[in-house]
Amino acid sequence: MEQKRFESWLKNIYETQDEEISCTECFDLVSRFVDLEISGEDAVAIMPQLKQHLDQCRACRDEYEILSGLARWENDDESPSSDDLRDLIH
Amino acid sequence: MFFMSNTRTNDEWLHDLRASGEVQEAAMADLRTLLLRAVLYLFSRNLGDFRGLPRDEILQRAEDCTQDALIAVMNHLSDFRGDSKFSTWAYKFAVNIALMTSRRERWKGVSLDQSSLSDDSNLFEWKMQDKSPELAPDQSAMQGEVGEIIREVIEHDLTEKQRQILIMMVFQEIPMDEVVLRLGTNRNAIYKMLHDARRKLKSSLQARGFEVGETLSLFST
Repeated sequence: MEQKRFESWLKNIYETQDEEISCTECFDLVSRFVDLEISGEDAVAIMPQLKQHLDQCRACRDEYEILSGLARWENDDESPSSDDLRDLIH
Repeated sequence: MFFMSNTRTNDEWLHDLRASGEVQEAAMADLRTLLLRAVLYLFSRNLGDFRGLPRDEILQRAEDCTQDALIAVMNHLSDFRGDSKFSTWAYKFAVNIALMTSRRERWKGVSLDQSSLSDDSNLFEWKMQDKSPELAPDQSAMQGEVGEIIREVIEHDLTEKQRQILIMMVFQEIPMDEVVLRLGTNRNAIYKMLHDARRKLKSSLQARGFEVGETLSLFST
């Protein structure tokens, strides 16, 4: 295992809580978290367990990052059209 | 070209999607556009996962994911609590389905090296990699001790299932959805196994006097 990865895993070990939310609960809550962030609220303070799960779960974190990008576009009325996105696939 | 497609309020989305006839059709067409955009955005970022697939086929996969996401959203309408924008809530179904599809494409046909599951000799290499010439001897010894505690917990304190999942995900870096597929389980079960393994590792390290700050500083570069 590479050192950076080991460090980050060790950090995950120490940040382990006795109770953590599941991936299903994360999926259920993540849209609220994303919109709180976009509206400038302290989403981490409001939903600490969700943030804790995202820090521990790569699969949920990957989904969160994409969702966050999409929601920001939507919020700024800057969503590209499907045709524009199709052009990026080649 | 930029445009606005999502001009409905949350209540209007719910109302229109639950309506019938033309109102519902129009709302579903708009929802479909929204979901397709999410799928295409994700695919365009993960194009490497589709290496070797012709463009037409990738676009067809995008249409299929969009259709699956549309069905998922319609089936879960009653779960929407209105604590986010409807579009953000709907997007997550498309993101979940599209990300699983692109990961599946990347890992399809990759055979996992089962030998490394039973051969532990390569798993704990970090101890060797971490030793730098300027490291104080006692620091090096403590690093070794941390590594040894982790190895002991993995070998003796974890269940067979916890050990297998930890090795696949942490050491072999296999994505969760692929582990789910290959072991015929679900994300929650995998997460729980990893959570239990982390708890055992944490309490063993702390029981031997390795508190968080000190331990992390031992390894930080």
